[in-house]
Amino acid sequence: MITLTHYMVLSGILFSIGMLGVIRRKNLLMLFFSTEIMLNAVNLGFVAVSKYIGDLSGQMFAFFIIAVAASEVAVGLGLLVLWYKRKQTIDLDSLQSMKG
Amino acid sequence: MDSILTLLIFFPFIAGMFGFMIDQKSIRAYGISVAFIEFALSLVLWFGFDSQNPGFQFIEQFPLIPQYGISYFLGVDGISLFLVILSTFMTLIALIGLTIEKDVKNLIISILFLEMTMVGVFVSLDVIIFYVFWELSLVPMLYIIGAWGAKLRIYAAIKFFLYTFAGSLIMLVGILYMAYLYYQATGVWSFAIPDWQLLVVPFHIQLWLFAAFFIGFAIKVPMFPFHTWLPYAHGQAPTIGSVILAAVLLKMGTYGFVRFSLPMFPDASIYFITPIAVIAIIMVIYTAMIAYAQEDMKQVIAYSSISHMGIIIIGTFAMNAEGITGSIFLMLSHGIVSGALFMLVGNIYDRRHTKLMSEFGGLAKVMPKYATIFGIMLMASVGLPLTIGFVGEFLSLIGFYKVSPTMTFLAGTGIILGAVYMLSLYKKSFFGELTNEKNKNLKDLNKMELASLIPLVLLVAYLGIYPKPVLNPIDNSVKNMIELMEKKSITKEAKELIKKANSIEEAK
Amino acid sequence: MEKYVYLTLFAPLAGSLFAAMFGMSKKNLITGIVTSALLFVSLFSSLMLLGYVDEEHIVKVNLFDWISAGNFDVSFGFIADQVSVIMMVTVTTVSALVHVYSIGYMDHDEGFNRFFSYLSAFVFSMLVLVMSDNFLGLFIGWEGVGLCSWLLIGFWYYKKDLPREIYPAISPSWAANEAFIMNRIADLGMLIGLFLIYWNVGSLNYDVVFKNIPNVDISIVVLIGIFLFIGAMGKSAQFPLHTWLADAMEGPTPVSALIHAATMVTAGVYLVVRANEVFSLIPNVGMFIASLGAFVAVFAATMALVNNDLKKIIAYSTLSQLGYMFVAAGLGAYWVALFHLMTHAFFKSLLFLGAGNVMHAMNDELNIKKMGGLYSKMKWTAILMIIASLALAGIYPFAGFFSKDKILEVAFSEHAYILWFMLWIGAGLTAFYSFRLIMLVFFGEERYKRFGFHPHEAYAFMLWAMAPLGVLAVISGFFEHSFKEYVTAILPDYEAHIEPHIVGYVLIALTLTMALSGILFAVYKYSRGGFSKKWEETWIYKLLFNQYYIPQLYEKFITKPYAELSKIAWKDIDLKIVDSTVDFIATTLYDAGDKSRVIQSGNLSKMLRWMAIGLIVLLIAAII
Repeated sequence: MITLTHYMVLSGILFSIGMLGVIRRKNLLMLFFSTEIMLNAVNLGFVAVSKYIGDLSGQMFAFFIIAVAASEVAVGLGLLVLWYKRKQTIDLDSLQSMKG
Repeated sequence: MDSILTLLIFFPFIAGMFGFMIDQKSIRAYGISVAFIEFALSLVLWFGFDSQNPGFQFIEQFPLIPQYGISYFLGVDGISLFLVILSTFMTLIALIGLTIEKDVKNLIISILFLEMTMVGVFVSLDVIIFYVFWELSLVPMLYIIGAWGAKLRIYAAIKFFLYTFAGSLIMLVGILYMAYLYYQATGVWSFAIPDWQLLVVPFHIQLWLFAAFFIGFAIKVPMFPFHTWLPYAHGQAPTIGSVILAAVLLKMGTYGFVRFSLPMFPDASIYFITPIAVIAIIMVIYTAMIAYAQEDMKQVIAYSSISHMGIIIIGTFAMNAEGITGSIFLMLSHGIVSGALFMLVGNIYDRRHTKLMSEFGGLAKVMPKYATIFGIMLMASVGLPLTIGFVGEFLSLIGFYKVSPTMTFLAGTGIILGAVYMLSLYKKSFFGELTNEKNKNLKDLNKMELASLIPLVLLVAYLGIYPKPVLNPIDNSVKNMIELMEKKSITKEAKELIKKANSIEEAK
Repeated sequence: MEKYVYLTLFAPLAGSLFAAMFGMSKKNLITGIVTSALLFVSLFSSLMLLGYVDEEHIVKVNLFDWISAGNFDVSFGFIADQVSVIMMVTVTTVSALVHVYSIGYMDHDEGFNRFFSYLSAFVFSMLVLVMSDNFLGLFIGWEGVGLCSWLLIGFWYYKKDLPREIYPAISPSWAANEAFIMNRIADLGMLIGLFLIYWNVGSLNYDVVFKNIPNVDISIVVLIGIFLFIGAMGKSAQFPLHTWLADAMEGPTPVSALIHAATMVTAGVYLVVRANEVFSLIPNVGMFIASLGAFVAVFAATMALVNNDLKKIIAYSTLSQLGYMFVAAGLGAYWVALFHLMTHAFFKSLLFLGAGNVMHAMNDELNIKKMGGLYSKMKWTAILMIIASLALAGIYPFAGFFSKDKILEVAFSEHAYILWFMLWIGAGLTAFYSFRLIMLVFFGEERYKRFGFHPHEAYAFMLWAMAPLGVLAVISGFFEHSFKEYVTAILPDYEAHIEPHIVGYVLIALTLTMALSGILFAVYKYSRGGFSKKWEETWIYKLLFNQYYIPQLYEKFITKPYAELSKIAWKDIDLKIVDSTVDFIATTLYDAGDKSRVIQSGNLSKMLRWMAIGLIVLLIAAII
């Protein structure tokens, strides 16, 4: 029997993977993947809890997140491509022109 | 007469705004006339004041943020009346004695803004309005020290600003908590001082609130060990800045004690009498010693200010009408005398561009008028009877004697040590042989300088001989306040102390 | 009669203000004349009051309220009763004559107008002191005379500090400050006394205080007595606050005559006499006062024995005579104290004015070793000074005999035999040093010629101004009985009871013998050239000559440490500890900001890391 705990653990593991990616990765594309993983980890949690307590608002939230994430990726990837065209790199350490 | 207080506050502000349109050449005359009208207005206030009525008069009130009980609420009583007059008077005198040429327009406009905030602090009866003026007063002063000061002016200005600002922020926390307490107790929000004075606060909360207000006031006074901004501020400020700083801005702190700490937290005030008196005694003796060690004339007077403020604190915490009335009178007299002394130092600085006593000596020979006026102010400063300085000092000490004879004795050493540093200053600068070549052709005071100093001399003598017109209204309001304190005090010790402090020993 | 009170009081003030108007201009004889004339007005009206005041007629005036706050209420009230009238007459007599004298003495001084302004202001303050009907009014006068004394001692303020061998460097301004500060120390004591009176009686008016003082707890009365006497010790220069008086001789000589001999320094005695109802309740304190007085009487006389400074000798003699007055006052014989105060005022000011003539003649030289044989040049001065010295020594029929002898009688009849013995020794010493001075100045070898001086007699009108004092120094003793009757109307009557009578006569004879032998010894010794050089080598001579090393002690253990301590308080404590702490807090905050600025590197991956850390911290915080 797969209980809520299993879902939550899975969600937690996914989130941690995403977070490690955010911390460790220097490639912008990889960063996008990592954030997507984190978002999906959260989605998983929302859906699971929603099912468990029989309230649909969790699932609605998940849809919202998917929609927002999709648009964010669209904008983000657009910018990324533009950046790559200018600098020939998508390494994170090259984005330091606003250093204080 | 209905909105005279509003007029008093905002007249210098509006006049200052118009000042931007005035030509650089005529700005001095303009500034002096504005200050004079303002002073005349404050005199009108005095004539309209009913000295038999101990409560607040000329009340103006209309709500600003009614949801939170914040209103534009003004009024004066005997305690604040003369501080208002002192502010307008000293501003006028300081402007008459002004000798700075550089950017004089901006300077005069700053002074007029400063005048607004000073009057505002003393007539506000709403704590928020009070706080606003209290903080606003820092800005023109910051500018005056920072723009017209001596070498270290930026350091001094920032130190002055941040130090006092930090203190008042702690006070702000106290203010908000007090408002919350008031809301809890009554169910309505109010920031009106008369309302707050009626609120009985539980003892342990009083202690915390007292401490919060204390820090705000103590830095302003300034009390030991929060005093170190003052010598820098005075040392670097231009003469006019020092005059107003010493004469009025410092009094805001002691005024705060009388207006807030005593009537709102009577039990805490009495609980803290001993530590505060100890601090005050340290102020009196320690800063008097430091003043004696100074080489710079202006620093002597700066430190002497702290020493005198110690006596004011002592009087304020005497808890009887003698002491508190005395301390308020001493605020006035110290304002006049220290203001005059700073102006005098400014006069010699204008001539010689130094304030070091070692540069002088024998000045009495070349500048007899200057020496005479300096001598009179010196005697007022050491508290010679029949000068203004004696009345307040005597009353403050006699008041505190009832609370603690030993501590009064220690604070009383101020009259000895005061004579020590003042007379040694006078001897070093005015007596002895005229040895320094540069001093041989110094000019005596000119007409403008005399015009600014002679009113002060007359006042020093007049209020020393006949202080009654001033003492009377103060005394009425103070008695009223003490009655209130006795009624609302909750601890037994406080009740007993107030009773004891206000009664003559029963003869057997 | 009120008008005479006002006239006495305000005539000198008017004179002072008049002279002050000319204060910064050149010498103007009119200031001297007007102030002197006004002083005679004052003298005249106080004489009118003297005739008027008796038991039924005591004049009281109330000018206006001064300070009132809480229960405290004091007004400018003045009273002319027997005691204050006596003081008024004494003060105005001496001051009027000193004013006239000063016109001559200050003739060539550029500060002529200023001098008269100060001098009249002094008289006004002194009159406030003696005429006030409350303690605070007395305190006004008390401080007022202190101020005028400061102004007048430092009159020649432009003189520079002259270094002395072992003493601190001296100048008029230094001496003035010393006097003012030492008096302030005592004034604090006096203020504490006033506070005590107020909080126990509820008023500072003499009437109320004296009526209620018997009801006050005796331990409080003792404290009041002690503190008031501390005040008196400062003004009257009693040990250990005596050093200022000798240094005060830096001032012009008429000042020394008026302030530091006849009037101001006796204010302490006046205070004790005035507050007799307080002091008679506490005989123990009275005994202390008397003992201190007797000690000072001998102590000061010994210092006068060897001093070579013309004015300082007389100053020490004043000190010693003040000791005598305190003996009488302390033992309860208030009228005797007052009587000696009065006679002393006459002959001591005369002595000082004579010294002024000598100084003028000798171009301000003060060392009596450089004088001698001046009798031939200044006969009248010499005669007047001899009269004064005889009065001072207490030789019949001069004034000092009556008053001083009375004090010895009092001591004897109170069974204070030790005090009597000390005073008796003191009488001998007094006689000796007075005539040592006379002999060294006026007789013997004309040493001044060696130093190139050309002495001359003073102006005639100066001598005429001294003449009334000379007359008074001779005759005032004979008024003893009427004086006693007059003042004992309000002072406690005191009659020395010495049984059997013959003992009394023996005592008088003893004292007189002592005084005469002092004089004869001085005359004998100094007509033969004085003591040998060997005497000056002895330790006792050095001890006396250096005033028991007390000024040095003060310099070493009070003045210098205070200056050092002040420096430490400023440079080490205030700047290095208090201010540094404040700056430390400020710089710590500033540095913390500066250090943490590195975090904002702009590197996205680092910021993401910080974000993750923040997230974790917040999550943990939320769980806890």
